[in-house]
Amino acid sequence: MPISIDLATLNMATVMPTLILVIGALAILCIDLFKRDLSRSFYTMIAVLVMLLSIGATLGLSGSERGFFDMMLMDGIAVVSGLIILVTSVLFVPLALSSKRFHEFTMPEFFALFLFMVAGFLFMVSSDNLILIFIGLETASLALYTMIAMHNRLKAIEAAIKYFTMGALAAGFYAFSALLFYVLTGSVEIGVIVNVLYERGFDPMIGVLGATVFMLAALGFKLSIIPFHTWTPDVYEGSSAALAGYMSIVPKIAGFVVAMRLFEMLAQSGVTWLEDVLFVAVVLTMTLANLMALVQTDVKRMLAFSSISHAGFVLAAILIGTTQANVGFFLYWMMFLFTNLGAFSMLWIARNKQNLWDARYQHPFTKFSGMVKVSPMAATIMGVFMFSLAGIPPFSIFWGKLFLMSAAVNAGYIGLAVVMALNSAIAVYYYMKLVVFMFLKDPVAKDGSIYAINASTPLKSIIGFALVMTLCAVVFVDSLIGFIAEYVVASGF
Amino acid sequence: MDHILSLIIFFPAFAGLLGFVVHKESAKAYAISVAAIELCLTLWLWVGFDATNAGFQFVEYAPLISQFGVSYYLGVDGISLFLVILSAFMTLIALIGLSVKEDVKNLVISVLFLEMTMVGVFLSLDVILFYVFWEMSLLPMLYIIGAWGSGERIYAAVKFFLYTFFGSVFMLVGILFMAYLYFQTTGVWSFALPDWHLLQVPYDFQLWLFGAFFLGFAIKVPMVPFHTWLPYAHGQAPTIGSVILAAVLLKMGTYGFVRFSLPLFPDAAVTFMIPIAIVAIVMVIYAAMIAYAQEDMKQVIAYSSISHMGIIVLGTFALNAEGITGSIFLMISHGIVSGALFMLVGVIYERRHTKKMSEFGGLASVMPGFATVFGIMLMGSVGLPLTIGFVGEFLALMGFFKVSMVLTALAGTGIILGAIYMLTLYKRSFFGVITNEANRGLSDLNSRELTALVPLVALVVLLGVYPKPILGPVDASVKKMISLMEQKAERQETKLLLKDVNTVGEVR
Repeated sequence: MPISIDLATLNMATVMPTLILVIGALAILCIDLFKRDLSRSFYTMIAVLVMLLSIGATLGLSGSERGFFDMMLMDGIAVVSGLIILVTSVLFVPLALSSKRFHEFTMPEFFALFLFMVAGFLFMVSSDNLILIFIGLETASLALYTMIAMHNRLKAIEAAIKYFTMGALAAGFYAFSALLFYVLTGSVEIGVIVNVLYERGFDPMIGVLGATVFMLAALGFKLSIIPFHTWTPDVYEGSSAALAGYMSIVPKIAGFVVAMRLFEMLAQSGVTWLEDVLFVAVVLTMTLANLMALVQTDVKRMLAFSSISHAGFVLAAILIGTTQANVGFFLYWMMFLFTNLGAFSMLWIARNKQNLWDARYQHPFTKFSGMVKVSPMAATIMGVFMFSLAGIPPFSIFWGKLFLMSAAVNAGYIGLAVVMALNSAIAVYYYMKLVVFMFLKDPVAKDGSIYAINASTPLKSIIGFALVMTLCAVVFVDSLIGFIAEYVVASGF
Repeated sequence: MDHILSLIIFFPAFAGLLGFVVHKESAKAYAISVAAIELCLTLWLWVGFDATNAGFQFVEYAPLISQFGVSYYLGVDGISLFLVILSAFMTLIALIGLSVKEDVKNLVISVLFLEMTMVGVFLSLDVILFYVFWEMSLLPMLYIIGAWGSGERIYAAVKFFLYTFFGSVFMLVGILFMAYLYFQTTGVWSFALPDWHLLQVPYDFQLWLFGAFFLGFAIKVPMVPFHTWLPYAHGQAPTIGSVILAAVLLKMGTYGFVRFSLPLFPDAAVTFMIPIAIVAIVMVIYAAMIAYAQEDMKQVIAYSSISHMGIIVLGTFALNAEGITGSIFLMISHGIVSGALFMLVGVIYERRHTKKMSEFGGLASVMPGFATVFGIMLMGSVGLPLTIGFVGEFLALMGFFKVSMVLTALAGTGIILGAIYMLTLYKRSFFGVITNEANRGLSDLNSRELTALVPLVALVVLLGVYPKPILGPVDASVKKMISLMEQKAERQETKLLLKDVNTVGEVR
């Protein structure tokens, strides 16, 4: 019997954001076939336009739609996280237009891969089907591995292979966990899985334990939760600063949304070991990453550990699981987005072709010594990003931190709130270290151009935008909370 | 005078931003002009201030994050008014006395930003706004100590920053918990202090919350055993940094006690009254003894600051009108006196590039003007009657006398010790014959230094003889706060004790 499907039942609008990206990526590949000598600025702007269209399609969604046989789930958190992913991507792509030419950005394939990757992440956040999430995860990850390797340095290839190996392991864990969930419940949809587990009273416990632990490990690799974090600093070190900044934001939010969909339901189940496991993961990730960041000699590696610590901080939201915590999570990540992208972009404009300061590192702390004397503007901007990352008011991340800590207090996790506060106090030391180098030590460079060697108008605009968002956060936090809360509450989190 | 408080807070910061345009040679003059205008603004505020009204005046309110109850909420009362004036006044004096030549533009801009944060701390009625200014005050100070300090300046700056930041993150958790309690009771989010004043906090929570706030404030004061950052910071800071640090920044901690700890948690304040008093007395005596053992003049004054802050804390925790009014007056007088003393040490350091007492001796014969000013300030510091130091110290100790005679007597020995180390310092540096030939050719105070110091001398004497203009408004607001504490107290013991220590003529 032929199967007839009405196109209307598919609800094409739910796949529009991703579809636009995929078509855009294919178009870039086709254009490259016919005309080989187009400049990187062309592809950059095409990619930006495609993603702007995708943002438009996302904004058009109401926040509670399903489509494609319920495979796509465009609920509120899918829309909010999709917007975060797309906005970060739009801000990232123009970083390709640096004044120095880097190998990867001269290849059109980079931009095609980039759009495929963004599409993959969007699939991840807008589905509650473990299979589709897996496909999205792998599409995105494989594209990302390639993009890292395209930086074409020895360290870049090492980083790509390291990331690939770890990613493959994570994929294995993920598949195994999905399999276990399927065996236990006969479904791959998170909603159904959770319902069946509740009905059966989580029996057999050993099966649930196995499935959850494998899932935690798989997502742990993606979110760089301790002890699955070991790849992070090396991969960040090997890839370009711009891409490292991107990696610290987008893949993580995608992973977080999956974790939020799955674990929040389970964490509230009264199965205490899951809560305990999450609690330990949160505390360890925050604290150990902070301690390791203290001893780094390279700014990029320091920022890598700092991003692990921030990931641990927001993972607390999933443990707490209240609406306020979820709103706080998205607020925090939006605030983190601008500041962190700004900080990595500052490293990116200081990128030299050669390593001038250190045999291994591109951005050792000593490079920034006395920067305020030769390049006061750049030093002040970098200082603002550091203060914001440290959570000093009134800069952006403080408001996210405030909201999230308040969520912890309100849900009765006073101990957790104190740990969060203590970690802020530890973290301030290593951010301060860069500030001390920039503001209080004697200069090493004779003129400031060395800190802006890779700068160009698009890069400066991006940094300026990130700076304004970091400085003036207090102005729009209120409306942002309203916006996020509306979507999060609509999807029942 | 509708938006005068906003004007007072943001004028220096805005002027600081414009200051980037001003040429390096004129930067100091520019900063002095800005600080003078700011002082005029605060004096104008005093003129408009209604001394008979004990509540908050010139209130400004605008919601900032309405969903979370954070607002832009300013107000001034008798307690904060004079601290605001003190901040503006000492900033002006410190800028007049400024002698740094290197990167002076960056320095004065930092000082102007610092002025904004100091004034903001005293004028904020929203707790989050208060916290924002509280934390922001660390940044310019970090830069001032770290960039223009001497010797181990970076270590000192980072230590200062980390210590205070560490304390305040606990305060942040406390603030959030307090907001949560308010939300639970009323169903709305609010961080406004007048709202919180109406909330009766359960005793168990009071103890914890008091502890969280206490940690933030005590590190700033600094109370023993969290005091170790202060001598370092003072030792390495440039003169202007030391002056502002001693005169205003330390007062933020004691102001926090008066503004937050006492009215929000009256029962906990009573419970912790004696333990804190004991710590305060340890501060007074221990710091005085260390001060006596110092060789470096600046360290003597740094430790004497800790000692005097001990008396301020003691007076605050007498929990009666005399004690608290006295300690607020002492905050102001200590601000003026210690600021002047640090400036005087700066004067001699500039001439001789040393602060060691053994290097000096017989200075009175070559620098008579300097010796006179130093002598007057010294009298103010040890609390000689008819100087500014006496009024506050007397009131603070008298306040605590009603609580405990023995503890007050112990604190009184601190004053005797204070006289000993200060007079020893004076004897070793100023009296006798000149033993070090390098001192023979020293020039006396120049006109710049005189301009900065003479107003301070005048205030030390004037307010010492006639302190009423300040005591009046302070007393009114303090009495209002104490009656609020009494109304809000949850336990009967608290009410009884508050009545007890606030009645005249009884000694326990």
